[in-house]
Amino acid sequence: MNKRARNRLIGVTAIVVLGIAAIFASIGSRGGTAYYKSVEDIAKDKSLVGERVKVGGAVVPGSWDRKSNPMTFEIRDEKDTYGTGPIIRVVYSEGVPTTFGDGVTAILTGEIKPDGTLLAGEMITKCPSKYETAKGAMPVGDLVEGGESMVGKTIKMTGHVKPGSIVPPGEPVRFYAAEDEGGGGVQVGVGYEGALPEGMADGSQVVIQGALEQDGIFVATNVSMAESQK
Amino acid sequence: MLFVGQVFLGLWLLTTVVAIGALLWGRSLGAKQGESVTNFGYLATFAGTAAITISSLVMITAFFIKDFSFLYVVENHSTDVSSLAWLYTLSGIWAGREGSLLFWAWLIALFAAWVAYQRMDKTDDLSNMGLMVTNLVMVCFGVAMVFSDPNNPFKSTPAEWLSNGQLVGQGASLGMNPLLQHWAMILHPPTLFIGYAGLTIPFAFAMAAIIVNDRSKTWVEIVDRITVFAWLFLGAGIGLGAVWAYVVLGWGGYWAWDPVENASLLPWLTGVGLIHSFTVYRRRDGFKRWSIVQAASTFSLVILGTFITRSGIVQSVHAFQEDPVSKYLFGFMIIAPIVAVAIGLYLRWKTFEGNDEFESLTSKEAAYYFNNVIMLVSGWLVAYMTVTSALPTWMPFGGQSISAVSYDLIGRPLGVLYVFIIAVCPILAWRKTEPATFWARVKWPLVGTAVIFALLVWDWVVNLRPIYLFMIEQGGEGARKLQAFGPEIVYDIISIGGFLAGALLISTTTWLFIDGSRKRAKAKGENALSSFGSILVNARTQSGGYLSHIGMGIIIIGLVGSSMYVRDVIIEVPDKQGESFTVDDYTFTYQGLNEQKLTNGDIVARASFAVARDGRALGTVTPGLTQFARQGQTRLDAEVLSEPLRDIFMVWQGSEQGMMSVNVKINPLIWFAWGGFGLLMLGTALAAWPKKRPALAAAPAGKNR
Repeated sequence: MNKRARNRLIGVTAIVVLGIAAIFASIGSRGGTAYYKSVEDIAKDKSLVGERVKVGGAVVPGSWDRKSNPMTFEIRDEKDTYGTGPIIRVVYSEGVPTTFGDGVTAILTGEIKPDGTLLAGEMITKCPSKYETAKGAMPVGDLVEGGESMVGKTIKMTGHVKPGSIVPPGEPVRFYAAEDEGGGGVQVGVGYEGALPEGMADGSQVVIQGALEQDGIFVATNVSMAESQK
Repeated sequence: MLFVGQVFLGLWLLTTVVAIGALLWGRSLGAKQGESVTNFGYLATFAGTAAITISSLVMITAFFIKDFSFLYVVENHSTDVSSLAWLYTLSGIWAGREGSLLFWAWLIALFAAWVAYQRMDKTDDLSNMGLMVTNLVMVCFGVAMVFSDPNNPFKSTPAEWLSNGQLVGQGASLGMNPLLQHWAMILHPPTLFIGYAGLTIPFAFAMAAIIVNDRSKTWVEIVDRITVFAWLFLGAGIGLGAVWAYVVLGWGGYWAWDPVENASLLPWLTGVGLIHSFTVYRRRDGFKRWSIVQAASTFSLVILGTFITRSGIVQSVHAFQEDPVSKYLFGFMIIAPIVAVAIGLYLRWKTFEGNDEFESLTSKEAAYYFNNVIMLVSGWLVAYMTVTSALPTWMPFGGQSISAVSYDLIGRPLGVLYVFIIAVCPILAWRKTEPATFWARVKWPLVGTAVIFALLVWDWVVNLRPIYLFMIEQGGEGARKLQAFGPEIVYDIISIGGFLAGALLISTTTWLFIDGSRKRAKAKGENALSSFGSILVNARTQSGGYLSHIGMGIIIIGLVGSSMYVRDVIIEVPDKQGESFTVDDYTFTYQGLNEQKLTNGDIVARASFAVARDGRALGTVTPGLTQFARQGQTRLDAEVLSEPLRDIFMVWQGSEQGMMSVNVKINPLIWFAWGGFGLLMLGTALAAWPKKRPALAAAPAGKNR
C-alpha cells in the first residue's frame, strides 16, 4: 500500500470512528439514557427530580383510568407484597401496551416531576409471573384454627387453590384456598381484585399476603405462586 | 425414555472429547503415521452426531406421545387443538432454555458431520483442526447440559405431579405460554438457531488456519457456502421476528431495539463483514486478518446474544429466567474466541499478511475495508449499549439503560453512510479507480438515481415532512424522539440522504445487471434477457450479492419512511355508532362493538371501524381486546390495514363512560422494508446455493504460497 493512500485511509477511518464516538458521547445529553431506579429510590431521593429514570413496578389495582388523557396510574415495588411500601404516581400519554392491567409489571422510562410524579414516555409490560417462598407462611389450617385472634393481622399464608373455585374479579371471594391439593381439608375464601399470577390453576400452591376480615374472608394484597412450583 | 435421552446426550459429550483427542493425537503423529488415529476422530464426530440425533429424537418423540415423565415436556407442551397443533407440539423443543440448548447443539453436530463428510477423503491438517475446534465448541454445550442441572433437558417430573401418566395438581397448570402458540413461533426460533449453529463453522476453521499456519484460501473455500447459508437463516429469523412483533404482538413497530432483538442483530452485523472479507480473501488473496477477526467476533457475539437473552442481566419485554450456573460457561465462550484469535494473530501476524496493496481510497478494497470497520464497530457498539445497565458505573453509561432513540441517533447516519459505500463499491475498480472509468460506469446509474430520488423527494415534501411537523406540534414522547436529533435540518439531511443513498444503490446495481447482460448478449449473440438469466444462474455468488444489495437499497427507503415518519395519535371519541374522526387523510367511522363470551369465561371484544380515504372506502379495521376472565388480565389486539404506500395500525384501548380511546399509527413506506427484505433473502439464498462443481481448488492444502 502506498503511503499516501495509507494515511488517507487512516484519516478517514479516524473521522468515521470519532464521528460515531461523538454521537455516542452525546446520547446522555439528548435524553437517550436513563438510570435504573427502584420505586423506593424515586419516592425518597429528592435529588432525582428532573432526571430521566427507568423504573419497574406493579400496577396498583384499580388505580388507573384508561379514558383519561393523559392516563394516570400508580405503581409500587414488585417485592412490596404487603402493600406497605411507597407508591409513585405515573402520568403516561402514549399508546397503552397490549397487556396492561392490574398487578401487571410495568417498566417505565420518564422524567421525575417536582411533585414526585413520573412523567413517562415509554412503557413496556410483563405479565405477572410471581413466585414466593412458602417458608414461614402460615398454612390455611393454622389460620382457621386461630379464628378470631387472627382477624385484622397482616400475615403471609399458604394453601392450595380449590379446584373450580376461581372466578373473575368483582366477586367478594375470588377463589378458595384449601389445605389439600384436591381441595380437601379446611378452607378459606380469598378476596382479591388484582391479576392472578401466570400459571396459577386448580391445585396450585399459592402464597398469599393479606389479612383475615371479620366476615371470614381473607382479603389479599398479593397472590404469588409458591416457589417450589417454579 | 428419559434415561435413553440422557445416556445418548452423555455419549455425545464423550465422543466429542474422544474426537478432539484423536484429531490432536493424529496430528502429533504426523500425516502418515497418524492417519488411522485422525480417521478415528472423524468416526467419533459421526458417532457423536448420531448420538445427539437419537437424544433429540427421543425428546421430539416425548413431545408427540406427551410423555409427562419429562419435566421439560410438562413445562413446554402445547395445549393447542387447531390444525397446526402438531407443529406447536414440535415447537415445544425450542420453547424453553434446556430444549433450545439441545436443539442448538444438535444443529452444530449436523454442521460438523456435514463438514466431516465433505473432508473425509482429504483429512487434511486444516480440516482436522477445524473439526477439532467445532468439537471443542460442542464440549462447552455438552458440559452446560450434562453438568448444570438448570440446562439439562432430561430432568424427570416430580412424582406427585403424575398419576397414571396424566398431569395432576400443580403439574396440570404447566405448558407452553399461550402467547407463543402462533405460526411465527414455529419458524422464528429454529431459523435463528440454524444461523447461530452454522456460524460456529467459520470460527472453527479460522482457528484451524491459525493452528496449522495456513495462509491459503482453502479454509475460506471450505466454509464460505456454510457461512452465507447460516447468515441467510440468521437474517430470515430476524425478519420473521420483526413480522411477529409488528403483526401479532402489536408492539406498534417491527423493531424496538429490545435486548433480545439486538442479540440476533449483533452477529448478523459482523456476519456482513465476514462474508465480504471472505470474498476478498478468495478473489484477491487479501483481508486475511479481517476474515479471522470477523469470524471470531461473529461467533463471540452469537454467544453474547444468547447470554443476554438467557441470563436475565438485562430487563426486556421478553421474560427471562436467571441462571447463575451457566454464566461462567457462557462468559468463557464469549471471551475465549476473542482471546484465542488475538494470541493467534499475534503469533502468526506475518502469515496472515494479505495482498492488501491498494493505491487509493477510490478502490474496491477501500470500500470493503470501510464495510468491515463499520460492521465491526456497530456490532460491538450495539452489544455494549445493550448491556450497559449491567456494567459498573465508571464505564461509559454503566448502570444506565439506553433507550431506542440512542440507537437511532447512531444507527441512522451510520446506516446512510454505509448504504452510500455499498452503492459505489461494485462500480469501483480494484486498487484504484480512474475518474474516466468511474464516470463511464456511473453515468447511466445517475440518470436512474435522479428519477427515483425525485419521486422520493416529492413524497417527502408532500407526505413525510408534514408528519414531522405534526408530531413536533403534538408534543410529548413522539416530539422528544424527533428533537433528540437537534434542529429539523439534521433530521431532513439524514432522511433525504437515506433516500439518495437508496436511489443510488438501486440504480448502480441494476445497471451492473443491465450492462453485464448487454455485454454478454453481444459476445455470445443471444438476446439480453437470456443473458441476464445465465448471469443469474452461472455467476450465483455475484448476482446473489447484487440482488441483496438492491434489496438493501429498497429497505433503507422503507426504513426512512416507516421508522422516521410515523404519525402516532391517540384519539378520544364518543362511543356511538356512526361517530367518525380523521387522522391525516383517513376517515374512521365507528360501526359498533362485537362482544363474545367464550365458554371459559374469556371475553373477546372487537370494535369495527370503516376506513375511507378522500371518500373512497378502503376496508374495515377491527382492533379489540381479550379479557382473560380467570386471570383478570387484558390483552389489546391491534390490527393493521395495508395500503401500497402506508400501513394503518390501530389499537382500541377500550371504552369507558361513553368515550372510547383509540391509538392510530400510520407507517409510511413500510412495504418497501418488507419487499426489500424479501429481495435480500432471495439474493442471499441464490449466493448460498451450492455450486455444481466442487468449489474447492485442487491445490493441496497446508502449503504456503
